[in-house]
Amino acid sequence: MTVVVNSRDDFTLENYRRVATGGEAVAIGPEARTTMAEGRANFLRLLESDRTQFIYGVTSSFGPRAKLTIPPDQQRAHARAFGFRRGNWARGFGGGYLDERVVRGIVFARLANFVAGNSKARPVVAERLAALLDGPLPRVPLDGEVGAGEVLPMAHVMYGLPRGDLEEGEANPLMNGSPVSAALAADTALQAGHRLDHAEQIFALSVEAFGAPLDVYDDVLDGLWGDEDEASALAALRRHLAGASPGGRRPAVPASYRVLGRVLGQAHRAVTGAEEAARVSLRSVTDNPVYVPPDDGHPLGRAFSTGGFHNAMAYPALNALAAAWADLTLLAQRHVTALGAAAASAPPVPDSGSAAGAATGLEPVLSGLVEEARAAAMPTLLPAAVNDPQDDVSSPVFSAYRRQARAAECLDGALAVLAAKASQALLQAGRQPALPLQDLLADVRAIFPPVEGSPHDIGARGGDLAAALARSAVTGSAPFGASQ
Amino acid sequence: MTVVVNTRDDFTLANFQRVSYGEEPVRIGAGAHRSMTAGARQGPAVGSPGKETVRQAPWATRGADFGGGYLDPAAVRGILFARLASLVPGHTGARPIVAERVAALLDGPMPRVPLDGQVSAGEALPMAHVLAGLRRDDLHEGEEEALLGGSPCSAALAADAAISARYRLGCAEGVCALSIEGFGAPLTAYDEALDGLWGDPHETAALRGLRRYLDGAGTAERRFHQAPVSYRIIPRVLGQVHRAVAAVEKAATVSLRSVTSDVVYVSDELGRPAGRAVRSGGYLNGMAYPALNALSAAWADLALVAERQVTALNTAETSGLPVNLVAPGASGNGTYAYGWAANGYVEEARAAATPALLPGAVDDLHADVLSPTFSAYRRERRAAECLDGVLAILAIVSSQALFVTGRNPAGPLLPVLSFVRSVFPPIDGAGDRDLSADGGRLQQALGAAALSGQLAV
Repeated sequence: MTVVVNSRDDFTLENYRRVATGGEAVAIGPEARTTMAEGRANFLRLLESDRTQFIYGVTSSFGPRAKLTIPPDQQRAHARAFGFRRGNWARGFGGGYLDERVVRGIVFARLANFVAGNSKARPVVAERLAALLDGPLPRVPLDGEVGAGEVLPMAHVMYGLPRGDLEEGEANPLMNGSPVSAALAADTALQAGHRLDHAEQIFALSVEAFGAPLDVYDDVLDGLWGDEDEASALAALRRHLAGASPGGRRPAVPASYRVLGRVLGQAHRAVTGAEEAARVSLRSVTDNPVYVPPDDGHPLGRAFSTGGFHNAMAYPALNALAAAWADLTLLAQRHVTALGAAAASAPPVPDSGSAAGAATGLEPVLSGLVEEARAAAMPTLLPAAVNDPQDDVSSPVFSAYRRQARAAECLDGALAVLAAKASQALLQAGRQPALPLQDLLADVRAIFPPVEGSPHDIGARGGDLAAALARSAVTGSAPFGASQ
Repeated sequence: MTVVVNTRDDFTLANFQRVSYGEEPVRIGAGAHRSMTAGARQGPAVGSPGKETVRQAPWATRGADFGGGYLDPAAVRGILFARLASLVPGHTGARPIVAERVAALLDGPMPRVPLDGQVSAGEALPMAHVLAGLRRDDLHEGEEEALLGGSPCSAALAADAAISARYRLGCAEGVCALSIEGFGAPLTAYDEALDGLWGDPHETAALRGLRRYLDGAGTAERRFHQAPVSYRIIPRVLGQVHRAVAAVEKAATVSLRSVTSDVVYVSDELGRPAGRAVRSGGYLNGMAYPALNALSAAWADLALVAERQVTALNTAETSGLPVNLVAPGASGNGTYAYGWAANGYVEEARAAATPALLPGAVDDLHADVLSPTFSAYRRERRAAECLDGVLAILAIVSSQALFVTGRNPAGPLLPVLSFVRSVFPPIDGAGDRDLSADGGRLQQALGAAALSGQLAV
């Protein structure tokens, strides 16, 4: 399939997913071509009306040399030189690389500037951009990408774009703006929704394993608390616990089970925040300079400098998500401890049919995961470094993306340990969870069978559980398998 | 005036402000009386599971916590107000007399609530301080849990932060607009076309806030080329602040009217209004502390951008303004050293932006998750204080830039400039001034404006 883009409204999270994760191609639609052609023609009329007016990067130099004007007869050569210079100016290195799906997403997000004619570029430039998605994409290092705006990573992304025939005003829309923030927010948001769903299932399995009373997730709390995100969390828990037996449950329950609805509600809020940041950012026009088509007061339109290249909503949303994952990681650790303590104090079950104990052997892993997740939750703020007096504030989105990914990795690990622990506790108690959780339990046990004796590959199998969770966060499949 | 509460819908941010900062009393209305009487009649009769709560001898714990200063009395008043939200619908089983006693506490002086030592499962520790003056020798079964349980402190602290945050943001927009005028930054970076091109309601609000202040600003004498990044991105950074303020307002609005008691009594299948007991984890407020964390981070980022603008204004090569903004004929280093002073506030604000997460400590096997709201609240206060410091410096430097070049800002900014100069007159080289004390006064005036909503001395 091919995603056809005609207007900014086509830059949805779903279309992003199709292109980035689904590997679909992008075609520039006829409406977009018409709009871009008109925009280009209008911009050229504006430029020709006065080639000494200030239009950043067109009639001026770049960055700290912005006050230098480019003579009219050198402006086209200037555009081509810019493209060449930036193309060879990909300087970041180290720290691993962005996944190729994210690079695809950046190319997709980049097109939002073009389709409504705000980029000043000809349709052919957008078509070349879209054509990048038909081949392998360049590697974008994760280190060294913090600068004013996003020209550093964009220099990597655009490495293979033919640019020898760029005209005035066509270089900047390729490199400037904040498509990287949009794509990193979108990539994170898509995974985050899946990850939260998996977390709710595994916490529900833990509720069953502990035998926590079900009234703490009662639907009357939806209204009494009065928050839509907490109501969503409670509803999800109730969905997974539907049909759970009310008998044989513990009368007393630790706080970590009682507050589950509220902590998961926080995660819902953070996921919603990341989704909102992605939705808004994907369809934003963030060029600098931006071209605004003619109106009554400006018959030639306007081209002016903006701060659109600094996305201020993506990195705070990623920060909030990292903090939510860290809190859930701690909660998972508390559940594992509670399950262990409950098993230690419970009388033996004579007919469980198993010699399994309460421990899985994975429990010691959790402390490290909790501490790492909390470290990753330290917020990414505006960077302290200054490039030069003109470029005096940098974009921190790469840092925020990496920390969120690290916190998510730690949460996946903690959820894997909790899933194994809950599975073990259920086996030891000779119980089955509620029906909606039984496929999940089977999937957990397929990867991490209940522990009996002293097997040698506990860590490897625990790692397999965590890896399965990480994969399913990307694909949206069931947490540990394909049973959904 | 008196705030009359009948239902949860009366627990609004506006009523919170009337009670906390307006010091209005609260009266339990007839509707609340009826609900509470109905709830009390059947609530405890179904058997209170209160013994299973995380609270153990809560009143006895009072006094075990100390240090770190004390909550402002207005915040304590707000906690008492928020406490009533769980009582008035009748879901706690508490009698109306209990709510009336809580409301009556607002007629006297507020107890002191230490800021240190308030991290626990739920909020029983600070509530024991807040309710220290409450008669409790005749409490019925379940009423002690109703008084000490839940999360009214989180609701009140979020509300307290939300009120000052909205005002502080307004002040910040005024000072940033003054800085734009002081620097002579091109106005296109705030053009209304960006509202739709960026498409974010919070950034639109920030752009409009700036344009309101810059209405009628002259286009002459502005630089022809684009301003430094710190000037062009200020609407997006302020948009981030708008988003954070909206989030804390939402957290406050939702939390104030939430019923968060450890045990709630609700109607059963027989239609009895309080025939069924439900245990709840309402005592952990999961939305207040993340909202406060986000606000702290937003203040820290705004402080950094303000510092960058101070540097730009002070640097002649960047701004084209006189070196160090020294007035003609005056000696000294003008406003240069304020740029250095701003560094300390920025670093402190960034430290305060470290988020409060669920605490690592565990009280016991049952109280295994604790509430971090007090920590988040204190960090937000500190980050806000540091922002006020940087904004004071930006206002000083912007005022000076206009002074040394004999310019006036746009008309809507004249009251802002007048306010700044009433506290901190331009440095004209005449007389011997204590510039440190003058700067401190402006920081305090900005802090006061964040409580009053008025930029006035």
